[in-house]
Amino acid sequence: MDIAIEVNNLVKNYGNVTVLHGISFSVRKGEIFALLGANGAGKTTTLECIEGIRRHNEGTIALHGKIGVQLQSSSLMENITALEAYRLFSKWNRAPVHKGILENFGILEFKNKQYRTLSTGQKRRLHLAIALINNPDIIILDEPTAGLDVEGRVSLHREIRKLKEAGKTILLASHDMAEVETLCDRIGILKEGNLAFIGTANELTGSYLGESKIYIRTRNPFPELKLRYSSPGNLEKDYFTVTTTEISDALLELLTLLKEMDNDLLDIKIERSTLEERLIEIAKEGN
Amino acid sequence: MGAFIYGVILQWKLDLRNKGILVTYYLVPLLFFLFIGTIFTSINPLAKDTLIQSMTIFAITMGAFLGTPIPLVELYSGDIKKAYKVGGIPIWVGVVNNYISAFVHLMITSLIIFLVAPLVFDARLPDKPLPYFGYLSIFLITCISIGVVLGLYIKSISKLTMFSQMLFLPSMMLSGIMFPTDMLPKVLENVGFLLPATWGLRILTSSEPKILWFLPLLLFFLVAIILGACKLSRIAMD
Repeated sequence: MDIAIEVNNLVKNYGNVTVLHGISFSVRKGEIFALLGANGAGKTTTLECIEGIRRHNEGTIALHGKIGVQLQSSSLMENITALEAYRLFSKWNRAPVHKGILENFGILEFKNKQYRTLSTGQKRRLHLAIALINNPDIIILDEPTAGLDVEGRVSLHREIRKLKEAGKTILLASHDMAEVETLCDRIGILKEGNLAFIGTANELTGSYLGESKIYIRTRNPFPELKLRYSSPGNLEKDYFTVTTTEISDALLELLTLLKEMDNDLLDIKIERSTLEERLIEIAKEGN
Repeated sequence: MGAFIYGVILQWKLDLRNKGILVTYYLVPLLFFLFIGTIFTSINPLAKDTLIQSMTIFAITMGAFLGTPIPLVELYSGDIKKAYKVGGIPIWVGVVNNYISAFVHLMITSLIIFLVAPLVFDARLPDKPLPYFGYLSIFLITCISIGVVLGLYIKSISKLTMFSQMLFLPSMMLSGIMFPTDMLPKVLENVGFLLPATWGLRILTSSEPKILWFLPLLLFFLVAIILGACKLSRIAMD
């Protein structure tokens, strides 16, 4: 598997305080990788070390390709217009003004508006367009949808997906669990400067050892039974509901019982731990 | 080179859109020039001999100390420098663009004063106009360098206003722009020698300025360049 970003034993100190304690991870070419974590976990510091705007104290960072960066807090001169800003960065990168990028990000709609008058969404789109000026292989996005309304968020997600389809590698930091679940191939969870988890969202939620709930609606009422793999069931809005920590066995047991009773299954729902709950659990672990 | 020139022209345009800069580069200096020109030349006809020089020194001091640092504070104290770093724009570009833009703006203001004063107030032109503009450029470069240092070291506009005024007000009162320095108490007259405006006025009002008078300006310039370069390299390594 081709690797786009390799981070090995990254240590960063601010004065006497160590904020990154030797984290290591790699991002594969063409994947979207998210860094998650509470405020102060070290997400932005990690990204800034990778971007090269902050020097790390120990460890190595290898980038296999050109990078484009959209910062979490970025700004431009208040009275520069969107098009002037785009042109300025294009010229310094010796890149032509890509009309396609300007159209895709809707920048032509506000090209003559001054930066201070742009909405948060327009600013984000402009900064993302600027990040793509040098046709980067790797795109680093720090909280790309923070402060955006739903429409802006959906629009930006669409653009990020297009970038992935174009073969770009994307490393992003986010607080938005829905964003991470829908966009990202893999996630890394930072906790107090350490990497507490790395894998897919499904692996993360699947590794949850807590309780899941099974909701079953049947044609005939479900009798009260003692179940081996789950709690005794109770009725919740027409659904027979059980709680279990052994989801596969409990499901099998319930379905077998249904068949034995010749009862028809009308609906079944499983409520498992969400990414958000899993994150909270990881944050609590070890505290 | 294309990117650099585009940046300089763009900065010049941005300065024209910035009210704070327009006020300090053009509006106040030119209004003050008209106001003082009217009053001083009526009550003291001798003021016509040095009106161009004194009002030019006022305009440059005001523009360089109060105006030039504004875009630099915006650029280097906030997140713009990060955008420059990750966007492939060298960190020194902001300073150089501002420097050139400020030079052009303040030279335009100086030219307006130079051209309007004889027509409106019957002010006396400098004896040797060509060397005059050479000396003026030296003074301008020195003052802009000090303005750049203010813009690089001060982190907010409110603090900038305070520090800039601490330089600008004494320059007004102690350099000889408003009244002859020999009317001042000796202590204040000596304090005046620590200000570029004092030496600037002395050089611009003389038809044959002494080389020694340029040394303080050279010293101010060198100190400002060293301080500015140190700060820029720290910002770049941050």
